[in-house]
Amino acid sequence: MAGEVVEKKDTDKDASEGKKKLSSWLNKSMKVKMTDGRTLIGVFLCTDRERNVILGGCEEYLKPLEGNEKEEPRILGLAMIPGHHIVSISIDKSQLQDSEFQ
Amino acid sequence: MEGTMQTQPPSDPGGQGSDGRVDSKSRYDWKDITEEFMSSASALQMGELLHDTNFGLFEAMSAIEMMDPKMDAGMMCNQIQRKVLTFDSALESGAIKIKDLSIPELIGIMDTSLACLVTWLEGHSLAQTVFTNLFLHNPYMIDDKCLKAFSILMLKLVDHIRDRVNRAGVFEEEDFQSLTYGFKMAADVTDARATGMMKEVEDDLNRIIKMTRSKVGEERDAQTEQEHEITNALFSRVKFFRLFLMGLLSFSKEKCEGIPQAQKLICQLLELLPIIRDTICMGIQPDNKEVGKNDYPTIMGFEPLVNQRLLPPTFPRYTVIRSREEALGHIEGLLYRLQIVTTVPELTTFHIIMEAFQEFSKSSPCVLSRSILQLTLLPVNKRVFGVHTMVDFLKDTIRNFIAPPVLSQKSALYNNSQAKQYVDAWFVQVVRPFTALVQITGHNRARQRDKWAHILEDLSALQEEADKVDACLHQMLTKMEPNRQHIACLGNWVLYHTLQAMISYLLAGFELELYATYEYHYVYWYLYEMLYSWLINTLHRADNFLLENETMAGEK
Repeated sequence: MAGEVVEKKDTDKDASEGKKKLSSWLNKSMKVKMTDGRTLIGVFLCTDRERNVILGGCEEYLKPLEGNEKEEPRILGLAMIPGHHIVSISIDKSQLQDSEFQ
Repeated sequence: MEGTMQTQPPSDPGGQGSDGRVDSKSRYDWKDITEEFMSSASALQMGELLHDTNFGLFEAMSAIEMMDPKMDAGMMCNQIQRKVLTFDSALESGAIKIKDLSIPELIGIMDTSLACLVTWLEGHSLAQTVFTNLFLHNPYMIDDKCLKAFSILMLKLVDHIRDRVNRAGVFEEEDFQSLTYGFKMAADVTDARATGMMKEVEDDLNRIIKMTRSKVGEERDAQTEQEHEITNALFSRVKFFRLFLMGLLSFSKEKCEGIPQAQKLICQLLELLPIIRDTICMGIQPDNKEVGKNDYPTIMGFEPLVNQRLLPPTFPRYTVIRSREEALGHIEGLLYRLQIVTTVPELTTFHIIMEAFQEFSKSSPCVLSRSILQLTLLPVNKRVFGVHTMVDFLKDTIRNFIAPPVLSQKSALYNNSQAKQYVDAWFVQVVRPFTALVQITGHNRARQRDKWAHILEDLSALQEEADKVDACLHQMLTKMEPNRQHIACLGNWVLYHTLQAMISYLLAGFELELYATYEYHYVYWYLYEMLYSWLINTLHRADNFLLENETMAGEK
């Protein structure tokens, strides 16, 4: 009996931890790499279980950004990226405050 | 004016990073959270959205979906495979020349530019029409005298047209796109300088034409004759564009002072058109490549996709540029319409103007001629023809229509200060709806019906006020001049216009094919039994009133 209660609490705890993490990233700048090689940078606004991500004020970069070249992005505005087209997600550390997830 | 002035919108590389690299992303400090994100998302229920309180389904609805070919214009499959040229890259690779251009090249560039201009005037964006001409991105770098003058003039022309259409305010999004995407429009070159540069080129070409002209008693060889023909073709175009800008500018002179000049210039322009039409073949033509997504074959200096990234993120939009012949046809129509516009300052009363404007609208004129028509009547200073105040003009019109005593100098009411107060206050209210009536006729035909419906509200409020003022004035007048009346003078006039608006509303429904056939007789009945018969009554009342006044004035 006691064991069951503990388990339930654990899964609940995991669920709320996951949501807390996601919530902590809301309204921060996020970089998403898509399956076709494009990179999008915008403000993280919304997501769901399928990992579909909505970015606000989104900019599209055609080439990966590590080089010295400056590329001029295309301004998309509000954009939704289907979860299955996401290769990687990065968050802007400098915007996270007193975050245990840094 | 010299130098490498970049005309394209400035890039925004973001701040310099701490390591001095101009890296677009140096202002961010990225941390990969892919794994964390994926596992955290599993915590959500099926269909549950995680979002801020300020953001919800309603906002999410308007997001464009990436990787969907219908919505994602930047997708690889929607992109073309070849390299898109900019002014700089084209110059470097030799794809464009900025000096020693041949006459066929110049003719081709000018004709294509005109085709792009016409396509823009038909409602497409500048980015996909006029600004596909790379020479307009950096005109100050061009060495060729003719091309440089032409490019600068083109920019001034576009700028002026934009200004006129924006000010007239009689366009909707389907008529005209005025966004310039940050392009510089040679603002530091005056109109006089721009036309002066073209005149210099014209004079140079004219010398060659005179030299190669057939002289009495002398036989020209084929080469000289050819040179003469082709130089004349170029000369005609340079002159055409110069006069075209001058013509449009003369419409914007104050108090319609430029109208006579506009008339002369339009005649000259119409004379030049046949020569230009006959020599289209002398310009360089595009290769017969296949037409792809927004990628059509074109000539040196034109790159259809150069501005793709400036376009708003929507479904991919493709613009078909008009052919050179069609463009000239459009310009010819425009010139004929502008000729009609030059006759407008001769119109005397508001009623005559409304009739003329309605008639003009029936031919579905282009947005530019409609705009210039509106601005000729009501320029920026809001005075009729730049001269009379709207109030004075309308007072004149009402005097003509029904001669209300309060507006006629012979009546005692005219100088009564109380009466004047009432009337002047009422006239202040009249200006807005009556200005709107004129503007409605300036919109494209399809949009007018809605606006007729809206104006009826304003007109009915005006009618009520008019009736009140009439009642007051009538009381005052019967005390001063027992024989005269002021019943419903102003009210009658407003009623006349209200009925006209209602009739226009119903008739527009036919044009827009809004009525089912079985409904036709409802509309016919209402027009016949009500609207037209009321209209005739109104006119009779006005006529009778005028007659009475004349007889009374005669008796005095």
